[in-house]
Amino acid sequence: MKQKPRVAVFDFADCEGCELEIADLEEEILDLISLVDIVSFREVMKEHSDTYDIAIVEGSIMRPMDEQRLRGIRSRAKILIALGACATMGGVNKIRNQWMPDEVKKDVYGDANLKGNELFDVFQTKAINEVVPVDYYIYGCPIDRDEFKSVITAIALGKKPEIPRYPVCVECKKNENICQFELGAFCLGPITRAGCKAICPTHNSPCEGCRGLIKKQEADCVKAVLERYKLSYEDIRRRCTMYNYGRKECSYDE
Amino acid sequence: MKQSVKTITKKDFSLFVNTLIKDATYDVVGVVAKGKRFIFDTLFSADDLQLQYDVTILPPKKYFLPQTESLLKFSLEKPFEEKETLNDTPRIIIGVHPYDIIALEQTDRHYLDSQQDNFYKKRRESTMIIGVDIQNVSERSFAASMKTNVTDTGFDLLLTDIGNAYAVTIGSEKGNKLLKKYATVNDASNADLKKIKTVRDAVIKKYKQKVKIDKKDWSALLVGNYHHAIWEEHADVCMECSSCTMVCPTCFCYDVKENVSLTLKDGTRTRTWDGCMLKDFTKVGSGEVFRDEVKERYRHRFFRKGNYLPERYGFVACVGCGRCGSACLPDIADPCNLINELAHFDSQENTGRFFITEENEMLEKGTIHVPRSATIKKITPFNELDTLFEIELDDKKPLGHKPGQFVEVSVFGYGEAPFGISNPPGNTPVFEIMVRQVGNVTKKLCSLKPGDKVGIRGPLGNGFNVQSFEGKTLLFTSGGTGMVPMRSLINHVLDPKLRDKFKEVIILYGAKRPKEITFMPDVEQWKKIHDVQCELTVDRCEPNECWGGCTGLITTLFPKIKADKLDSKNTIAVVIGPPVMYKFVIKCLQTLGIPDDNIYVSLERRMKCGVAKCGHCQMNGVYVCKEGPVFNYGKLKQLPEAFE
Repeated sequence: MKQKPRVAVFDFADCEGCELEIADLEEEILDLISLVDIVSFREVMKEHSDTYDIAIVEGSIMRPMDEQRLRGIRSRAKILIALGACATMGGVNKIRNQWMPDEVKKDVYGDANLKGNELFDVFQTKAINEVVPVDYYIYGCPIDRDEFKSVITAIALGKKPEIPRYPVCVECKKNENICQFELGAFCLGPITRAGCKAICPTHNSPCEGCRGLIKKQEADCVKAVLERYKLSYEDIRRRCTMYNYGRKECSYDE
Repeated sequence: MKQSVKTITKKDFSLFVNTLIKDATYDVVGVVAKGKRFIFDTLFSADDLQLQYDVTILPPKKYFLPQTESLLKFSLEKPFEEKETLNDTPRIIIGVHPYDIIALEQTDRHYLDSQQDNFYKKRRESTMIIGVDIQNVSERSFAASMKTNVTDTGFDLLLTDIGNAYAVTIGSEKGNKLLKKYATVNDASNADLKKIKTVRDAVIKKYKQKVKIDKKDWSALLVGNYHHAIWEEHADVCMECSSCTMVCPTCFCYDVKENVSLTLKDGTRTRTWDGCMLKDFTKVGSGEVFRDEVKERYRHRFFRKGNYLPERYGFVACVGCGRCGSACLPDIADPCNLINELAHFDSQENTGRFFITEENEMLEKGTIHVPRSATIKKITPFNELDTLFEIELDDKKPLGHKPGQFVEVSVFGYGEAPFGISNPPGNTPVFEIMVRQVGNVTKKLCSLKPGDKVGIRGPLGNGFNVQSFEGKTLLFTSGGTGMVPMRSLINHVLDPKLRDKFKEVIILYGAKRPKEITFMPDVEQWKKIHDVQCELTVDRCEPNECWGGCTGLITTLFPKIKADKLDSKNTIAVVIGPPVMYKFVIKCLQTLGIPDDNIYVSLERRMKCGVAKCGHCQMNGVYVCKEGPVFNYGKLKQLPEAFE
């Protein structure tokens, strides 16, 4: 029998929620481990191995020590998958890129003496692909379990995973939701990459853009919509800060 | 036919609905509230019915073409196992407005006229429609202008609220029986019939949105403004979200996807709503997008409604429900507004028809979605890029193709892709395709071995009518992979049994580089035949490549045609190649004096369903998979999207 690919799951600055989504596959975990050997996954097992084919990396990169660790992972893995908003885009961790690291440290830790402590040696937050090349992206905060499965099966079959490049509105309309704009709310669905099954608007919460923007905040169409719904550019800038701070829209081919 | 009309008291109607729900023979669906809006949903009690509603968020289309549905299940463990997934309980939909009923009748034409879609057909047959006359008009609806606010057909029963009772118009025998079995009704009096008319007339006054141009004149108005600046102006603020097509009752295009279980043991092929406003809609395996600009997609949607489908089926594919208008955030999707805006302008041009009527013998072959099992017999790598596959149908029946036709090849788990057939027609179950690795399916195909199974649908599309070429000189021009279908045609006319029927044969063939030349053995063979002139060129040649032939674009071969051989009026020219090639080659042909009607081309688009349903290959009003891929240039040149 062909040997199963060895998979290791790692995390950096994150909430581990995306890893939890993998653990939440529940009985399908058995299917997953029939397909791959999970050799390292700190959140759910104590064993660890440094020999693996596929590395699934969650979280953002904040410090030189993270970069070093990530480069090590990359050098050991044939395939590297960025898991979730923090890893794929920087996500909420990039909110603090609005300020310089020293300002942030001062604000959070006051006068505590952090000098020489590498744990606190932070630079501006980076997504995984700002440090090492990434082979596959699984977007979202958290990720969608079905999309995780489809990416894993696609890699196992040797095909290119299909990640949507159209906006959340497509899925939202299929779910027959009342548009958030119609409800008087402000939603990033029209400019955010779909694939989440429009889970937020379906549960009556406007889209926050966690899967990345597929249009510029400054696009004419965005301006037209903001104007029609009496919103300001400041409104959209602030909303995009949550997951997309300092990040350009995804290119069509990304 | 005069329809029989009954009345039912509202109390008895509730009883009727509750009996249907309790009886459980049918899945009973009706209009219910969702916040301040309405949707069609499963009914648990007649009390939930909101028959006074204005419009639902989605049309009842979702019960016939669900947002996502499985077309077939397959096993990846067995060589070839699939089964179609058809399974639906009978359903009754209560509260469908006339415009949505008319939209369903339109969809019937597309899904049932030819190449019937089993899934749609089965659901249509097992679903009863209880319509209701409109009482409240949504803000954006202009159904009265479209004359879709009332209907005499398309329902089993139609309710009209006449105060303390509903008038029930019986539209079918099925409806009649349902009423007899489950309801207590009375015959309608003349006064009741009058009330129906009064109710309908009263509603017309409620429409705020009115179209200034009669729907029969939409087509001419659109055609006259194909190049109007309005498309670009509006497209500039388009979000490209396709919300307009998602909520539309007359949009019925879909995409097909392959889902595989985590165990890699089995999977399903599903279809899901797709929208022509999305960029990926026309994207082919090699990455090319055929309707790349937003303004082209924006225009396509209106033309499909106001010109393409009217040309094809005779109806304007907009029923004035107003859903797109209210769903569009920048408010540019409403056909009523667009047509009214265009009405201010005079027609700028008359670009003719965007539709081609083509005699096409599409055979009804049972189910249209399920491939036939076939076995790979032989795999021959031709050059760095191309591999030739010999495939045999497992039922041992001949494929029965014409040159120029194509097949859809399935590799379960990876998907389906179209391939031109490269061998001439014959009586064997074996046929040939050329595979160039560009996407998931082609890459996987190239990793298969003889003996492996694939699925085949086809032959599909419109091939060359070779009989019409008889007595003519034939000039074949192909570029790149255009040689694949061309080889089928060339070897067919060079068949000794047929050769006498045609005059001179001239073959011009251009490839990018020497190593990209396909079918070199055939080319060598053609060069040896005395009454065949075969010329070859490559665009460029790397220093390390061995090439003693002509270098230059395909057009450089035209001066080599021996003039004495070419009686231009009596010559048929066939051109197959990459999109960029056509413009230049056709100019050369015209310079030679060959009439446009003597030129045939074969085009590549995103042929996905292969049976003129999914919409991906549509080029103006034409489905390339049905009316093409072979077209007469004289007819095709009226289509701006063919070569733009």
